[in-house]
Amino acid sequence: MVEQVNSFAIKTKNVSVHYGNKMAIDDVTINFTKNDVTSLIGPSGCGKSTFLRCLNRMNDVIESCKVQGEFLLNGVTDIYGDSIQVETLREKIGMVFQKPNPFPKSIFENVAYGPKIHGLASTQSELNDIVMESLNRAGLYEEVKDRMDDIATGLSGGQQQRLCIARAIAIRPEIILMDEPCSALDPIATARIEELINELKEKYTIIIVTHSMSQASRISQRTAFFHLGKLIEHGDTSKIFTKPDKEQTNDYITGRFG
Amino acid sequence: MIYFALLILVIISYLFYFIGKKRALNLKFNGNIKLSSQPDYFGYYVVLMALIPALLMWFGLLLFKGNFQEMFVMSPILFPDISTWSDGKLGLILNKLNNLSVIVNLPLDDLTNGEKSILNMASENELTAAKNLANFDKIYGWSNLTLFIILPIILGFLATRSISGKLNAQPIVEKIITYIIKGSSYIAILITIGIFLSLVFEAINFFRYVNPVDFFFSTGWNPNRAFVVDASEGFDKDDLENAFGFIPLLTGTLLIATVAMIVAIPLGLMSAIYLAEYASKRVRDIAKPIIEILAGIPTVVYGFFAALSLAPFIKDVGESVGLPVSAESALAAGLAMGVMIIPFVSSLSDDVIKAVPQSLRDGSYALGATRSETIKKVILPAALAGIMGSFLLAVSRAIGETMIVVMAASLRANLTFNPLEPATTITTQIVTSLIGDVEFDNPKTLVAFALGLTLFLMTLLLNILAITIVKKYREKYE
Repeated sequence: MVEQVNSFAIKTKNVSVHYGNKMAIDDVTINFTKNDVTSLIGPSGCGKSTFLRCLNRMNDVIESCKVQGEFLLNGVTDIYGDSIQVETLREKIGMVFQKPNPFPKSIFENVAYGPKIHGLASTQSELNDIVMESLNRAGLYEEVKDRMDDIATGLSGGQQQRLCIARAIAIRPEIILMDEPCSALDPIATARIEELINELKEKYTIIIVTHSMSQASRISQRTAFFHLGKLIEHGDTSKIFTKPDKEQTNDYITGRFG
Repeated sequence: MIYFALLILVIISYLFYFIGKKRALNLKFNGNIKLSSQPDYFGYYVVLMALIPALLMWFGLLLFKGNFQEMFVMSPILFPDISTWSDGKLGLILNKLNNLSVIVNLPLDDLTNGEKSILNMASENELTAAKNLANFDKIYGWSNLTLFIILPIILGFLATRSISGKLNAQPIVEKIITYIIKGSSYIAILITIGIFLSLVFEAINFFRYVNPVDFFFSTGWNPNRAFVVDASEGFDKDDLENAFGFIPLLTGTLLIATVAMIVAIPLGLMSAIYLAEYASKRVRDIAKPIIEILAGIPTVVYGFFAALSLAPFIKDVGESVGLPVSAESALAAGLAMGVMIIPFVSSLSDDVIKAVPQSLRDGSYALGATRSETIKKVILPAALAGIMGSFLLAVSRAIGETMIVVMAASLRANLTFNPLEPATTITTQIVTSLIGDVEFDNPKTLVAFALGLTLFLMTLLLNILAITIVKKYREKYE
C-alpha cells in the first residue's frame, strides 16, 4: 500500500473551482501515476484546462478564481500549503501552453531563462550544457545549433513549441503539464511533438489536455474524461477507448456529442 | 441672421433626405422600377445636391464681401479724389463709414451724445456713403438668407425629380463624400505647411541680419544690443556677432529638460509598472485617470507653483546646507515640468506594458519566476521600445514647454550646467522677443522665428524618432 502512494506523482481529492459564482470544477478526485502520460479529454468548457492549471497554481493570478480541495505532490507535499513556495512548486511542475510563447529573446536565452532564475548552473559552461541538453532532449538542437543567438520568435510554430518544451525541461521538473500543445500546429509538427512526448515519459510524468481523441489514444497510457466540470471516467486509455464504463464517455468518444 | 439661416439649412437638408429616399422607395414599390443604388443613397444624393452649391456660394460671398462693399460704397461720385488715396486712408475711411452705417438710420432720440457728435462731424458725402453701406449690409444679409433657403429648396426639388431608374446615386455620393474627407485632411496638412513656411521665410529674414554661423555657434546671447541701434541706420556687424548666440539657450533648454526627465522617468515608469502589473483592476481604474489629470492642469498653474512655491523652497533648503541657490533656478522650473510630464511617461508606458501578451507572463510564471523577475527579465525588455518611445515624446514635450519656464526660469542667458543657477530656454526667449513695441524689421524680433524654426525641427526630429520606435515595437506583436 505504501508503494502505491509513492507511485502517484500528484494526488487530488474533492477538487472544486469557482470563477466568481460560476462553478468550473465540481468535486473531482483523481490521481496521476508516475512516468505515465495522462490525457484529459472532454468537450470545450468542461473544465479540463482549468483543472490542469490548478496543478501548478497558474490560477493564482486570476483574482476571481477560488480553488478548494486537496492536492498532494508525490503523495506528501500540499501544493496549496504554506510550506511550499509557488516558485519552487513550478520548478517541479513545468508547463507548456496551447500557443507557443517563446520570449522575444535569443533561442539560447529562452532556454537559459529558467536555469538562471533558479541558479541551476554555477558557470557559463554548465549553463551551456544545460541548454544544449534540453534542446537535444526536445529534438531541436540539430535544427538550431548554428543560430543560438537568433531571436526565438523567428522560428516556425512547431520549432517554437519544441523550444517551449526545451525551456520547460531545462529546469528539470518532475511533471510537465501540457495544455493542448499541438492545437496551433500542422500535422507534421504535431507528429514530431507526439514523438517527443513519448520519449519524455521515460523521465517525466506528463499530463496533457487535448481536443483530439486520436492524439489521446496514440500518446497516453491513462485517460480522464471531463464533462461539465465533473470527472466522468478515468482509467487506462485502452479501456476508455474500447469499452468505457459510462454511457456519456462512450457517446463522446464515438462522436455523438461534444 | 447667419445662425438662423444655418439652422434652417440643417432642417431643410434633413427633410430632403427623407424626400429623396421616399421618392426612391416609391419608384421601387409603386413604379416597379429597379433602382441601381440602395434607397438611402438617393436621400444623401438629394441632400448633397441641395447643400453644396449653396455652401460654396455662401463661402464665395463671405470671401469677397469686402470687395463688394468697396465697389458699392466707395464710388468716385461721392469721393472725387478717391483714386489718389493710399491704402491706409482707404481703410480708415471705410472703417469710419462702417461705424457711421450702424447709427445713420436710427432716430435721433435713440442716440447718445457721443454718437450725435460723430454724425455732426461727418460730411454730407460720408453720410450718403454710410447710408449706402447700411443698405448694402441689409441686402447682403437678405441675399445670404435667400441663398440659404431658396437655392437649396430649388436645387433639392430638381435633384428629387432627377431620381429615376437610370440614376446611380451611390458612386456620385461616395465620390462627393470622398472629396469632402480628402479636403478636410488636406486642410490640416496645408495649415501645417503654411506655419512651417512662414517660420522659414521670417527666419531667412533674420539670417539677412545675422550670420547663421554666429547664431548657431556663438555663446553670447544679448539681443538688446540690436535693440538700441536704430534699424534704419543699419547694424554694426560686430554688435550682432555676439548678440544672438543660440548655444546658451540650447544648454538652458537641455538643462531644464534633463531635470524634468530625471523627475519624470523614474516616477512615471515605476507608476506604470505598478498600474500595469501590481494594481488591481479597481485601483487602476481610479488611479490612472487621476495621474492623467496632471497632464491636464494648465501649464500656467505649474508655472506659478514653480515660481512662487518651489523656487523659494529650493532656495531655502539650498541655503540651509550652504549651497548658493538662485531665486530663479533651473531646478525649480525643471521639477515642475517633470511633474507635468509624468503622465506622458506613465500612461504610454502603462499601455505598452499592458500590450505585452499575457502568454509571455504565463510562460515566465510557469518556469517558476517571481513577479519581479518576470517584469525585469521578460516584460520590460519586451516593452522597451515602446517605453523609449514614451520617453522621447515626453522629452519633446519638455523642450517645447513654454509657460512654466517663462514664469519660473530666468530671462538671463547663462551658459551653465549647474541646475542651481538661473538658465533660460528657447521658448522663454521667443516670448520675450515678441513682447514689446519692436518693429518687425528688427533682428531682435525676427530672432523669434529662427528660434521657433530650430525648436520645431528639434521636436519634429524627436517625434519622428519616437513614432518610429513605437511603430517598430507594435509590429512585433500584431
